[in-house]
Amino acid sequence: MSALLEVSGVSHGFRGLQVLKAVNLTVKTGSITGLIGPNGAGKSTLFNIVSGFLTPDAGEVRYAGRSINGMPVEQRSALGLVRTFQTPQVFAHLTVHENLIAGGYKASRTGMLANLVGTPASRRELAALKREADRACERFGLSEVRHRLAGGLPAGQQRLLELARACFGKPRLLCLDEPSSGLNTEEVNQLMALLERLNAEGISLLLVSHDMNLVAIASVIHVLCFGEIICSGVLRELQSDPRVREAYLGV
Amino acid sequence: MDRLLTSIRPRTAQALQGGATRGMRGVAIGLALLIAWALVPLVASRSIVDLLVFAALYTIAGLGVSFLLGQCGIVSIAQSVFYGIGAYSTAYLTTHWGWPALACMAVGIGISTTIAFAVGWPILRLSGYFLALATLALAIIGHVLFTEWDWLTGGTLGIGGIPALRIGEYQFNTPQRFYYLVWPIALLLLFAHRNLLHLRTGFAMRAMRDAPAAAAVLGIDVHRLKVQVFVLSAALGAIAGSLLAHYVTFISVDSFGIDRAINFLLLAVLGGARTIIGPVLGALFITIVPHALSGFGDIHAVLFAAFLIATVIFLPAGFGGSLHRLVESLKPSERVDDK
Repeated sequence: MSALLEVSGVSHGFRGLQVLKAVNLTVKTGSITGLIGPNGAGKSTLFNIVSGFLTPDAGEVRYAGRSINGMPVEQRSALGLVRTFQTPQVFAHLTVHENLIAGGYKASRTGMLANLVGTPASRRELAALKREADRACERFGLSEVRHRLAGGLPAGQQRLLELARACFGKPRLLCLDEPSSGLNTEEVNQLMALLERLNAEGISLLLVSHDMNLVAIASVIHVLCFGEIICSGVLRELQSDPRVREAYLGV
Repeated sequence: MDRLLTSIRPRTAQALQGGATRGMRGVAIGLALLIAWALVPLVASRSIVDLLVFAALYTIAGLGVSFLLGQCGIVSIAQSVFYGIGAYSTAYLTTHWGWPALACMAVGIGISTTIAFAVGWPILRLSGYFLALATLALAIIGHVLFTEWDWLTGGTLGIGGIPALRIGEYQFNTPQRFYYLVWPIALLLLFAHRNLLHLRTGFAMRAMRDAPAAAAVLGIDVHRLKVQVFVLSAALGAIAGSLLAHYVTFISVDSFGIDRAINFLLLAVLGGARTIIGPVLGALFITIVPHALSGFGDIHAVLFAAFLIATVIFLPAGFGGSLHRLVESLKPSERVDDK
């Protein structure tokens, strides 16, 4: 399997505090890759660098064989690199269905002038997006709440909506930031099943979490601690690794 | 289960029937409004019709501000500049060079949108108060230039003798005649913006307003979109300004000051910036209410201020937002299964 995402030698600091120290990490095409670590390990920083919200001080991020250092978020998105947020970022004043339609932005083309005039092409395009959004509602179990405003949904459904919206244009690499936070055990189990299904459909996943249960679905897990990857492997290997036990459990 | 179905069925039938009568009612209300609109100039005094013409002009300019505020979350206090550019382009080109009206308006739109693009590109990287202050600075600079460049604008003396709009031999040279021209233009522009809001770009705008980071992740170039809407808003300002010049036939720098810019923002807030009808309601309010209160003498400004404060406190979503909620609450629930 080839590498879809390669992070090499990435370092980053905030006001003299070195948050990431020459981190290397690879996400293979078609894989589920986990990134775990205690609070303050630098997971979110690394995640922001991968998704384009931060530019690293040093090092390189390569995606699908090309360097994407300095590439804006929306261009990464156009290449199929999409993320979710630790606190779900739904469009609060749009309904669930409308959130999904907004998710189809990349899949549509018409510009502002055509939309002002309301050309037949722009209306057809919207009709197609609506049908697609209907299907997404069904797939992700959001049909019952499709006309509710997204801002009024409980946390679990907001997260599901964000995930459904991110999957709307079938991304190649979906980066999930703490997808299980705020979910109960049953919801986490459903989420794991859903993620495995998405992966089976060909979406590579990078999971950032401190939830050991969730990352069990990953084929390889990297442990980040104080800005360094201290070890990588499958869950079982990690659980018996003394460095991980020390970093994670403090024993 | 059976009981559930029987309880749903009559309600669904009722809802369907309700849908038909609601459609009829909608047509009836629309027709009544249209007739009322058409009759106003025949029954109302000249001064009221004059106010209503200004309400239409403010609707057009205010629509731009309202769209920026309500759909993109951008506070713009710069609309007076684009309004002024539209007016001065028409005034100068018609009186000095004798250009046709549409060409003058096109030049006004061209200059306004070019400036909006050049200024908007850097300042729309700012957000919140800083962006509002930057647009205020633009309004101040605009006003100073309108005053100082008297070779172009006539300065404080203004430019007079601007020809009225005409189609063939028919001149739109009275408030009544202009009323029948300007309101259809305003409604056409409102209709176009309603289209925009409910198509691809509108969804992108609302997404950007609610969660800019998530919008970027969906592939929306947030900065570019903001600049686009700012440019569109400037075009609306220029159209309104150009029509104003033809209507009043004399313009001076007094019409393009900070107070006018704040009025445009005010009408957007009062009208309800998230609704399409909002600018109309806001524009009617800021033209008609001060006039109605002027009978009270010196205290009218205080009364108007009191009205404003009461509106903002009791109708935080503006007239449009409150109206929208009222209409929604009158509809019987269509989504029986949601309950």
